Amino acid sequence: MMRIYQGVDIVEISRFNKTFLKNERFVNDIFSEKERTYCETKKNPQIHFAGRFAAKEASLKALGIGMSGAGIDNTFREIEVIQGKSGKPLLSFSGWPEKISNKRNIIQFTVSISHSDSYAVATVILAGQDVYNS
Amino acid sequence: MNKSVITEETVLQELKKAIVETLNADESSIQPESSLINDLGAESLDFLDINYRLEQAFGIKMARHFVLEHIEEMYGEGSAIDDNGQLTEKAVTLLKIRFGDKMKDLEPGMDMDEVPALVTVQSLAEGVMDILNSVPESCEKCGKSDWQAEEGVRTKCGSCGEPAVFRNGDDLIKAWLTKVQEEKKIF
Ligand SMILES: [Zn+2]
Repeated sequence: MMRIYQGVDIVEISRFNKTFLKNERFVNDIFSEKERTYCETKKNPQIHFAGRFAAKEASLKALGIGMSGAGIDNTFREIEVIQGKSGKPLLSFSGWPEKISNKRNIIQFTVSISHSDSYAVATVILAGQDVYNS
Repeated sequence: MNKSVITEETVLQELKKAIVETLNADESSIQPESSLINDLGAESLDFLDINYRLEQAFGIKMARHFVLEHIEEMYGEGSAIDDNGQLTEKAVTLLKIRFGDKMKDLEPGMDMDEVPALVTVQSLAEGVMDILNSVPESCEKCGKSDWQAEEGVRTKCGSCGEPAVFRNGDDLIKAWLTKVQEEKKIF
């Protein structure tokens, strides 16, 4: 038996930029070094940052962590969107999200990100092995 | 314990200001027991804005890990959250000690993603107060014990003007967990 967990999130880019630009600590708190390097080489970095933020939120929903303690949680940075060889985004979990993912026996995860000029959207699907019924 | 020269009233006032600006909320709708998520409609960017504003206003650093994560870090895998992502009885016992009966909907078996909705104006303000109360006995620079609240919010040495260095939110949660464990032997 497999269990499927899903999460989706939409980010209004202008709303995201407001928080991003106003708070000096935001970018380093929320994004890993790899993510920052990747986004900053793009023509419009903000769109890519917003897409990654949506992917982090969608992951939190799929993992069942929710709003991550309602603070400036390190969990955001511990959910990392990295680029696969083909350019396709991949998810990598460390720290707390990795622990939750292990509890749920997640064995596969996928992420998909899309954006327009105004919105970024991401979906995350996690597949877990149901240990009780397998 | 209550060493802060900044009053809880000031903290609540700053927090209300942050909420009004971030959520375009009507100040009269903000009560101490209001849930930021359920009653005031906060989403995660709003939480980030509000927390950063509090850090900026008071010169503090809020916790970067939620208390449930600290519990598992200190007392082992499965001590706070079970394999289904639900709160353990012990986690609920601890959260109830920490937040009192303000989090009245807390119960073992609730999904962990329901917990953030239990964060209220009051519980957030108490988190800030904990950090402000960690102000050292005396100024690191000149050794005097003369903290003043500059503009009501910034703790500064009244003698040399050096800003106070507080402990960060995560260290304080860990210290609190250690103390509760010693007293109550929950794990
Ligand atoms: Zn001094």
